[in-house]
Amino acid sequence: MGLLAAGIGAGIAAIGAGIGIGMIGKSAVESIARQPEASGDIRGAMILTAALIEGVALIAAIVCILLVFFS
Amino acid sequence: MAQASRGFIFLLFLFFSFNPAAVSAEVQDDSGEEPVIDVMGKVQDHNYLTVAGFDIPLPRIIFVEGSLVPKVYSSTSAAVSSGDFNELPGYVLESSTENAIVLDMSVTSHLVYFWFAILLTVWISIAMAKKYKKGAGRETEPKGWFQNLFELTFLFIRDDIAKTNIPEKKYRKFVPYLFAVFVSITFMNLFGLLPWGVTATADITVTAILAAFTFILTQWNGSKDHWEHVFWFPNVPPLMRVILTPIEILGLFTKPLALAIRLFANMLSGKIMIICILGLIFIFSEFFGAAFGIGTSFLVVPLTVALYVLKAFVGILQAYIFTLLSAVFIGMAAEEHDHIEGIEAHA
Repeated sequence: MGLLAAGIGAGIAAIGAGIGIGMIGKSAVESIARQPEASGDIRGAMILTAALIEGVALIAAIVCILLVFFS
Repeated sequence: MAQASRGFIFLLFLFFSFNPAAVSAEVQDDSGEEPVIDVMGKVQDHNYLTVAGFDIPLPRIIFVEGSLVPKVYSSTSAAVSSGDFNELPGYVLESSTENAIVLDMSVTSHLVYFWFAILLTVWISIAMAKKYKKGAGRETEPKGWFQNLFELTFLFIRDDIAKTNIPEKKYRKFVPYLFAVFVSITFMNLFGLLPWGVTATADITVTAILAAFTFILTQWNGSKDHWEHVFWFPNVPPLMRVILTPIEILGLFTKPLALAIRLFANMLSGKIMIICILGLIFIFSEFFGAAFGIGTSFLVVPLTVALYVLKAFVGILQAYIFTLLSAVFIGMAAEEHDHIEGIEAHA
């Protein structure tokens, strides 16, 4: 049961993070295409935001790992 | 590309052609039978250091009940032969007297790698500063990869991370911390890729300590405006403060928590992924015979090489993200808002 919960939870977390980071990448590429001279700043902001989203997704992943190995 | 995708489909096919009985047997493995490959055992902290296939025992420092003086032994076996402790499987000690173990402060493999990374950082900083001082005033560029690489890193930390995120007047004081964090985390991440290496950052205690440093620095250098924003948010209706103050106080602690978990989880997941994919060889040879295991290795080893390259990149990227977020948090706290009066004047 714990294994099932961990699998489903990891999947849902991956969906959420995937949508979020995908949207960041989309808007970053669009804005770099519009304004190539600002690409350095945009890349920095993109990595920062992606890291923030990734943190939330990884907290979910850690909970799943705990479920698998320590439940 | 086509070959890679064909290989992937082949692997996928192998997964689905798995005998369900064998899978269920593997799931029920924890009832005593030894698993084919022990994933968590490879990732966890140990009381020995593996170098070239040999286990070097590390010192044990143990506090027992009723005494403030720790008991120090040169190795686990020395602790056992002293008669105070019994050894359980996996180098775990259990007190054989009536005084239970209160705190185990033993030197572990992660700690050794942590010290190693810090020593390297200190050595790099001192050597770089000495060489820089010697060349001050010269017109030509510095020679040698060492000086060029680390001066470039230092400039990158100073200009792209510290200067852009921390207010102009205060950023100089934080550059050494940010540089030290960046270099030592990079070393700790990359040491895990060496043979017999241990990723110290794949341990929540190591990353939690690093995040705690950032937390203390952030709060210590918090400006008056930072604390005002935490406890008494300006320019909002009074009732909103009932909601905002707890959220802001919670926010103080979730930032370093997320910082610690992000680094830890990235490193842990990379390590688990590599071990799992390499472990496929042993799992297949266990179920279908050695020849099948050899066949799998032709597929799995190139995949692992690709993952290694990815992990090296992720190791540097995560060190960068840790440093960048530390700088952002410090900058947010150290900032002084001059414009608040202006907004009030307009309102």
